[in-house]
Amino acid sequence: MNIKQIAKAAGVSVATVSRVLNHPENVAPKTREKIQKIIEEEEYTPNWFAQGLNFKRTRTIGLVLPQNINSANMEVANGVEEVARKKGYITFICNMEKDPRMEKEYLDQLITRKVDGLILLYSTLNEEYASWIEEENVPIVLIGETKARDTWDSVFVDCRAGAAEMTAHLIECGHKRIAMLCGLDPEPEARAMLQGYKNVLKASGIKVEEHLIYHVKNNIEGGYIGMKKMIGNLPRKPDAVFASSDEIAYGAIDALKEMKLRVPEDIAVAGFGNDRMSSLMEPKVTTVELPYRKMGIYGARMLFDQIEEKQAKAEKRRRPRKIQLQTKMRVRKSCGHRERIGEMF
Amino acid sequence: MLETKFLGMNLPNPVMVAAGPWNRDGEGLKESLEAGAGAVVTESIISDIMLDVRPRISSDRFGAENIRMYSDIQIEGWEREMNIAKSGGGIVIASVSGHTPSELAYLASKMERFGADAIELSVSNPAAESLEVVASHADILFDMTKEVVSAVDIPVMVKLSQNTTNISKVAKAVKEAGGSGVTAINTVRGILGVDLETGVPSLSTYGGISGEYIRPLGLASVATIAQTVDIPICGVGGISSAQNALEYMMLGASAVQVGTGIMLEGKGSIRKIVQELEIWAQDHNIENLSEIRGKALENLKAFDEIKFEPAVSHANGVPCSENCSKCVNACMYRAISREGDSIRIDWTKCTGCGLCTSVCPAKKLKLNL
Repeated sequence: MNIKQIAKAAGVSVATVSRVLNHPENVAPKTREKIQKIIEEEEYTPNWFAQGLNFKRTRTIGLVLPQNINSANMEVANGVEEVARKKGYITFICNMEKDPRMEKEYLDQLITRKVDGLILLYSTLNEEYASWIEEENVPIVLIGETKARDTWDSVFVDCRAGAAEMTAHLIECGHKRIAMLCGLDPEPEARAMLQGYKNVLKASGIKVEEHLIYHVKNNIEGGYIGMKKMIGNLPRKPDAVFASSDEIAYGAIDALKEMKLRVPEDIAVAGFGNDRMSSLMEPKVTTVELPYRKMGIYGARMLFDQIEEKQAKAEKRRRPRKIQLQTKMRVRKSCGHRERIGEMF
Repeated sequence: MLETKFLGMNLPNPVMVAAGPWNRDGEGLKESLEAGAGAVVTESIISDIMLDVRPRISSDRFGAENIRMYSDIQIEGWEREMNIAKSGGGIVIASVSGHTPSELAYLASKMERFGADAIELSVSNPAAESLEVVASHADILFDMTKEVVSAVDIPVMVKLSQNTTNISKVAKAVKEAGGSGVTAINTVRGILGVDLETGVPSLSTYGGISGEYIRPLGLASVATIAQTVDIPICGVGGISSAQNALEYMMLGASAVQVGTGIMLEGKGSIRKIVQELEIWAQDHNIENLSEIRGKALENLKAFDEIKFEPAVSHANGVPCSENCSKCVNACMYRAISREGDSIRIDWTKCTGCGLCTSVCPAKKLKLNL
């Protein structure tokens, strides 16, 4: 039964049924009880989607992720969802499989389904596409470095500084030939990290050797294959390998073990991200902590700020807000550090 | 007579309750205000709540040690807590903690919207952060303060740490960044002790020490800031009586905060301190405590400015019946001896170090020319 049929059965108007559902205190008790009885008997539940159209909000938000089998991305989602849930919102989580076309499709779909706002993690969107969404007037927050960061509110970390800190740490551990397994995505962050790595090498008087830099898929397999190729191709193995993500580092460690090379004695490995497995690997992975959950929390906070501003009909155009969060070194075993200074103090 | 103007706010008295678990929510804050506090500071609010380790607080007769005490209420929840806190009136200052300027500015602007009267930046907690607390770097502190100041319209004060090489520099950075005041000092990194039987330290990692242990450090920090930077100061560290509060004020503090005192003695001690202050002010014909602010600073010189005077210890012929021999034992120059019921001082040996004057329980010894 729909609302019209309920109204007909009760002999009242649709508006009266609607009032019983939304503001029962405004309906005469006798009428209210009669309508509520029919609603119960017919097990009628209001169509939330139609309600959303009426109230101009659906209490839903969309979160588009590059990949959902990646635990780091799910930590971001955890932060987003926690804030959304407390606000009484449902989060649609869409996995774009790192495919820009799929990202656009999801965005079209989510906007068509009238979500109240969008959070895009490591979005591939460019300015041009951004302006289309702009016209739709849907609040948006970006998480991570993106091409369209200047257009919208965003949360990010300084990956270049984080990578620089790790490279400097590997040099401090006594390593000279430091290779990099650099993920192909998320592209802007990988580029920033590569820059941070090169800057520190140059500043330390170590020549940047392009043949020590391997661009690999940003996952365990990418790290495994990259590491195998690197050891196979290089006449002299590197002292250390800096992976642009923990997953790449896991793959690299796996490959090294298979080739009977010891980590860190033969080759040291460092990761990036500090996802949950990094401290459980053997050896425990030295990495840079990225505040994934906090990124999700801030992304959602900024989105709800926008949604509330929109409801309050606040000035639409304002400068995009940017929140930068801190990275933190996690010195463990895989880097070959003899002391635990960074970790303990 | 205790009314205090601090950062443009009118406090009924200068005794504030410091950030800490005793002010963990709206009820706690309200309770502190009802107990007579001039203003209250919320427990430090952070971007994302963390699991609290257990145990995390330890104490002995001189103070306490804690590891990380941040609010376990997310920023969203503080809207409700602030409503409760402010329901009976009173000044509520929001303590926010974070690692980047934008993060702090976000939390501060939210707390402003929820009704905070001022912001206190907590960037000097020594537990779980690292040896170099944020507040030990003047440049980072400058950026943080500046961004928060530009994000809110209420006063911003910054809680400083003794764990820095030059507290003047960081206080100056706060002022230059537009900060309205400083709070000095936060807890000091330390370990309360070790259980000899089990070999277990007081807590499972380095903690922040508070209470009596750190009062001398707090007093010196407040005095140093007062003598070098023109910025209102809130003194904190080991205050459990009006005497302690007045010491801070005489060294330049406009207001003070109590924390460990109420943690160990309960919130009743707020009213006790306030009452003691009233009595002291009455006894000394003081209309407003601001009259005594910085009074002791004129007697606090740089080492180079101290005059060398040939003062020596005098017992002034007062008979000594205490018979404790503390002065005799403490005299490193062997200038003091006991002769029957009196103390004899050999002025050829006395070098005027002054130690005997403070060890004598009856205060019979004086340093004179």
